[in-house]
Amino acid sequence: MIAFRYTKTDGAEYISHLDLLRHIDRTLRRAGIEVNYSQGFNKHPRIFMGNPLALGVRSVSEYCTIDCGFSGDFKEAFDGHSPDGVKCLAWKAVQNNPNFAQSIKACRYETEGLNSFDPEEILYQKEITLTDMRGRTLDIRPRICGIERTEGRLAFTLCCGENNLRPDLFCNFLSEKFGGAPTYIMKTASFGDSVF
Amino acid sequence: MKPVDTSRLRELLLKCEKPSRYTGGEYGAPRAEWGAFNFCACFPDLYEVGMSNIGIKIVAQSFLKRGMCADFCFAPAKDFGSGLKELGVPLYSLSLKAPLSDFDMLGFSLQYELCYTNMLYMLDLAGIPLTREERRGGRYPLIVAGGPCAVNPEPLADFVDIFFIGDGESADADVAEAYVRHGGATEAFYREIGAMDGVYVPALTTPVYGDGGKIEWFEGIARVKKALIEDLDGAIYPDKFAVPNCESVHDRAVIEVMRGCYRGCRFCQAGFIYRPVRKRGIDTLTAQACALIKNTGYDEVSLNSLSTGDYGRLAELLKSLKGSLPPEVTLALPSLRADSFEGQFAQDSRKTSLTFAPEAGTQRLRDVINKDITEEEILKAAKSAFNAGYSAVKLYFMLGLPTETDDDLAGICEICEKIKLLYSSEKRQKSLRISVSVATFVPKPFTPFQWECQADEEQVKHKQDFLIKHLPRGVKLSWSAYYPSLLEAVLARGDRRLGKVIRRAYENGCTFDGWDNFFYEDGWRNAFDECGICAEQYVRERGEDELLPWDFIDICVDKKFLLAERKRAYGGKVTGSCLTGCKGCGMQGVCPAARGER
Repeated sequence: MIAFRYTKTDGAEYISHLDLLRHIDRTLRRAGIEVNYSQGFNKHPRIFMGNPLALGVRSVSEYCTIDCGFSGDFKEAFDGHSPDGVKCLAWKAVQNNPNFAQSIKACRYETEGLNSFDPEEILYQKEITLTDMRGRTLDIRPRICGIERTEGRLAFTLCCGENNLRPDLFCNFLSEKFGGAPTYIMKTASFGDSVF
Repeated sequence: MKPVDTSRLRELLLKCEKPSRYTGGEYGAPRAEWGAFNFCACFPDLYEVGMSNIGIKIVAQSFLKRGMCADFCFAPAKDFGSGLKELGVPLYSLSLKAPLSDFDMLGFSLQYELCYTNMLYMLDLAGIPLTREERRGGRYPLIVAGGPCAVNPEPLADFVDIFFIGDGESADADVAEAYVRHGGATEAFYREIGAMDGVYVPALTTPVYGDGGKIEWFEGIARVKKALIEDLDGAIYPDKFAVPNCESVHDRAVIEVMRGCYRGCRFCQAGFIYRPVRKRGIDTLTAQACALIKNTGYDEVSLNSLSTGDYGRLAELLKSLKGSLPPEVTLALPSLRADSFEGQFAQDSRKTSLTFAPEAGTQRLRDVINKDITEEEILKAAKSAFNAGYSAVKLYFMLGLPTETDDDLAGICEICEKIKLLYSSEKRQKSLRISVSVATFVPKPFTPFQWECQADEEQVKHKQDFLIKHLPRGVKLSWSAYYPSLLEAVLARGDRRLGKVIRRAYENGCTFDGWDNFFYEDGWRNAFDECGICAEQYVRERGEDELLPWDFIDICVDKKFLLAERKRAYGGKVTGSCLTGCKGCGMQGVCPAARGER
């Protein structure tokens, strides 16, 4: 098995999760990397993606595992056949599937364009409720791990996976509270046992 | 030549549906670079429809091959289009992200009549004046159009500088070379290209109307012969496709097995305008399929043509493809005729539905339309499909064909009964699903039915009601709305006077007319009223001695042959496939089948 970290930038941030899965499948086929298929009625290639990234959020920290017997330079093979903005940053051969969708617990993002504010204003609060896209009220405070401001950029770390908080939703909240609007949002790092 | 500032589009992209339609960067897309001549292929429908079209890829390839620039643009959905307008960002090409007005030529692909307002929509979003008249003297790209609808170019003559009639492999790029040579769209340029095969310049031809609105003669160039590529093996074909960012309608590799069709069904425009039948060889097709799979990563190759079952060495071709392609790649054979199955069904657990197009309910009417297929053949094919595990059948019919009566409609019901009986004659695991889809017959130029009138609203309603009442229980019926079919018929056989109606319809808010959910009937009805033009006069029966609006186009099939076929239709006589002997349509001189090729 090969686990790899890749980008979703340069326009690829607008490709949906399902389409991205198709693109990775085709990239591997073009590269001549033979993926093993699941056994069963509807056979599908064993490609294991991390959690879906909200549409329009860029990333240099996406993770994926594929079940294959490839032994060459994976990055070279992948990058030579992938669409713009979907490029391999690091890879390693693994024995078992690291299951990135579950093992990644939090992600760090950065953004620009929001008005300046004191991060403590958010972090001191015990509870922050807002309504998510499906209309559910939700206390997001426990899902905010940290906020820092450096040189006009805002960096923040949010929970991922089971207690996911979408970075675009969080930015909307900040935008409504403090003004300004993000010119971009980028995932810069992921945290969990399995990342590299 | 500055690209549009895409960072300004972020919020719009996040707000609209499927933003990856508008961002470009597809794997395999040609990296456009400005050159001596800059072409942008414009498709007047959504990205996922246009990305499936092979014609625009061939035309783009013909420019690239000559070292010219070729880029693509598709009609944005209404959410993105109106967003662009609000932001003041012009419609841009996908690779260069350049405003369309920066190109030397915008080439619109006209695949069906109901996309005409979308062409105006794209020009408008690009900030380009819609008519030739308004553009005169300004620095604008040449607005050109091709594709099957261009065989009757007149309804769009007000908007288009140059039409390409026939095969697009070389005419478009030939015109581009002339443009470069003349240093622009000069009078000498138009004179030169006006003499080329396959090139129609509306400015050089004027229809003169007599009393009663019929055309009396064509002033200026009165004959334009279609462009014809005789050898498909030597013809340009892209060896890679741009793999669409989001799933497209036909998301797979496509090879064009043949162009044209031997059958000559009398309602079918494609069966006449793409004559003669030209085939690609097995080696060419195998090489093209292998290159496409390698360069796209698709896992399916579609063997396209109007009737793939008529490819003489189909079994050999399939064997060659299976032997050369990676094992997981599947082959798709659309457009197989019921009589060409011979029980050869792929044992694929996912495929459960089979589609037939008998087009008419009785043998009498199928003889009238020269649909050379019998009920027995349909039932035989259905039986072998059922035995292979298929449990659903889709049947396509047309309503309002010449000479149709209620007996023919009753015939549709009978076929369904017989298929039901056939299915239940053996014990099967699943229950049978039959769906019947009926479209209203639209007479098209260059067919033996080009003179026919179209059934009116009352007749169509009666026929639909008949089927609703008499189809056996459990058969799912779907039908097409009346007005879009009327409009299709009007535009298909229309003349230059319709230009103002199309423009008014666009101004009234009509776009995406081919999409049921976007069709804005009042917009069109008002447009006809406001222009003082009666839509119904365009669907009347035409006199056989009348000069038809498209008669100056030479599609190379004799008008006399079409007339003779019309007479045979009324006599209920089948003409049959060209493979059973040459029928003398007028293309014998360039037709491989007429020379005995099989």
